[in-house]
Amino acid sequence: MIAIINGKVVTVTGETFERGTVLIEDDKIKAVGADVAIPDGAQILDAKGCWVTPGLIDCHTHICNFGEPSTNPGPTWDGNEITDPVTPQVRAIDAVNPYDYAISKVRNAGFTTVCILPGSANVVCGSGVVVKLRDVATADEMVLPGHEPMKFATGENPKRCYGQHGKSPMTRMGVASVLRETLFRAKVYSDKLKAAETDPSKAPEPDFQLDALVPVVRGQMRCRFHAHRSDDIVTVMRVAEEFHLDYTIEHCTEGFRVVDALKAKNVRCTIGPYLWEPSKQEIWNKKLETPGILSQAGLTISLTADTGSQTAALPATIGLLMRRGLSEQAAFEGVTINPAQTLGLEDRLGSLEPGKDADIAIFDGHPFSSLSQCRTTIIDGKIVHNTL
Amino acid sequence: MKAIVNGRVITVTGQTYEKATVLIENGKIKAVAPDLPIPESAEIIDAEGCWVTPGLIDCHTHICNFNEPNSMPGMYDGNEMSGPVQSHVRAADAVYPDDYAIIPVREAGFTTVFSTPGSGNVIGGTGVSIKLRGHTAQEMIIPDSQQMKFAFGENPKRNYGARKQMPSTRMGVAAVLREALYKAKNYSDALKEAETDPSKAPEPNFQLDALVPVVRGQMRCRIHAHRSDDILTAISIAEEYGLDYVIEHCTEGYKIRDVLNEKKVRCVIGPHLTSPSKFEIHGRILENAALLNEEPDITVCLTADTGSQTSVLPMTIGMLIRAGLSFEDAIRGVTINPASVLGLQDRIGSLEEGKDADIAIFDGNPFDSLSLCRLVMIDGEVMMNTL
Repeated sequence: MIAIINGKVVTVTGETFERGTVLIEDDKIKAVGADVAIPDGAQILDAKGCWVTPGLIDCHTHICNFGEPSTNPGPTWDGNEITDPVTPQVRAIDAVNPYDYAISKVRNAGFTTVCILPGSANVVCGSGVVVKLRDVATADEMVLPGHEPMKFATGENPKRCYGQHGKSPMTRMGVASVLRETLFRAKVYSDKLKAAETDPSKAPEPDFQLDALVPVVRGQMRCRFHAHRSDDIVTVMRVAEEFHLDYTIEHCTEGFRVVDALKAKNVRCTIGPYLWEPSKQEIWNKKLETPGILSQAGLTISLTADTGSQTAALPATIGLLMRRGLSEQAAFEGVTINPAQTLGLEDRLGSLEPGKDADIAIFDGHPFSSLSQCRTTIIDGKIVHNTL
Repeated sequence: MKAIVNGRVITVTGQTYEKATVLIENGKIKAVAPDLPIPESAEIIDAEGCWVTPGLIDCHTHICNFNEPNSMPGMYDGNEMSGPVQSHVRAADAVYPDDYAIIPVREAGFTTVFSTPGSGNVIGGTGVSIKLRGHTAQEMIIPDSQQMKFAFGENPKRNYGARKQMPSTRMGVAAVLREALYKAKNYSDALKEAETDPSKAPEPNFQLDALVPVVRGQMRCRIHAHRSDDILTAISIAEEYGLDYVIEHCTEGYKIRDVLNEKKVRCVIGPHLTSPSKFEIHGRILENAALLNEEPDITVCLTADTGSQTSVLPMTIGMLIRAGLSFEDAIRGVTINPASVLGLQDRIGSLEEGKDADIAIFDGNPFDSLSLCRLVMIDGEVMMNTL
């Protein structure tokens, strides 16, 4: 049993205790509060006035699949299977390397869970995977199974990766039609599978790609759609609604232009990255004010660094967003409970509540100040980083 | 006349005053002190609760020459990759006053930057210091501020080696540079002789002409070198030719800090916000700047080495502070130290009487991501003010 005492405890979903205790038993949080009785024999971790928060979550990273450290030109990139614009059959889990350079950097910055997504070169990119940043030897020990989302991409990346080689998609129209056709075929395939449950003669010819999309068109697998420009965002919503998908918008760079449309459908957004030059047209309108605008409109927003090791700089970056309209509460939610919800793990992660996983970070100042440092990281009740 | 009053004034080269006044007249700093009498006609800027610093300087940027906003494939003006020796190209010819980067960088508190060619070539061409104001390149450029860019290590190897051209190895990089300097030296000597005997004049050569001030020690060289072996190769060639040089990036400097100290090397450290995407930066650690500053004779500047991302350099420096860098070394690293690298230490980089009135006001510690730059002044003119 571990008792974290004397911390400023930010539960995120409930109260913030100026001087609180968090009690951990095995791998779960047992109690949180200002007057928690500390059992004899508990290991005391004195937070000395530091901020105690849920372990941070970046729900849109490329940790491992952008292989770090890398070389240029590099054989280490595993993020985009740029051989076909439709690759739902590839899985991010097959590129999880527990020894990747990014893991300890990001963990030591207070992150305990990340979602690793394939890159956005393809229209249908493949499935992502949720991992805890445990200090273990195999991918399987890191993974939280059953929460794999499917990654899709609209806009410039697929156009650039295929159009420039004279292949489809070459235009935004092409991107949308590749997407629609794929979903259409997956729907037909899924319906045949259903029909075959009672009449086996109705079974479709096995198709490895479409098989991976069956849970998507049945609304059982969340879809994460890369969309920066407002027209791309709206196109995604149009197609996703048409096929009844469970979806989120990733990046949502021009979301500030379509707040009402997003609000009408209560679309979840993951906003970022910010530490990036406007190096392609679809991100020219990136603004530090966007998270503040969308969260004030009542939308559920998550915040991302959208990289490998640079997720370590996400907390400081969120400081910049807080000075441009994002409330402190929305900032905390953006890297804790909101991404937990996006990953379908809100019952286990994202807040300091009894019964939840004991994933905790301790910072020696405001977590979103560049002058603060994460001093302790705890995953499943195990101290994996401690300089307190 | 303007008077910035009530601020916490960090002069950098002198005292830090908990409450003082900065008086500005005709684009210059007229006085800095607590309890200064304020002339009645002075326009008052109340900096109560804020930190007043010299305008920040990033002495290694690609503002303008990495054109922003950009597209993919893009329109970069940063590397003239048509041959590894480009001594004759000038960043001054790619200064665009409407580049996207200028406003965000200025609004983050930066007033002067050095815009340098990239490191795709062994000799990249001359960079130039610009103030972040004006609507023509001419107004922005600080005259006589050109410095020559060199690059060691992977970038030239990658760009030319991949085309089966020289250089494809570190040996090749060093040889290309040595040969260029050797020719420039002979050319320069011939020019000198021709001053008394015109028949000794060399055949005019546009590339070598640009290197004459370099081999005469009159133009500073800015040498891209990440790995410790590249840094040492750079130093040995620079010494062989008597160059006035600065080491750029200096990523593995912490491994050879004794040598750097003995040679009294100036170095410009960064960028830090990139993934370890090439071999020569695998040795990067956030502690490098702090470790080099521990040596008495090394001068350390800090850079974001990009275009608009210089706007997040202050936040990044916050992280370096948490890796051991002192506040004093941090602020020097973006003010007086880069000013001295640029040869502009008499004009900018500190709050002192007679210097250019380039000033930034922050509503907290400038290196805290939770602080905001609230006012920027260049040559006494208020460029941005949300106080």
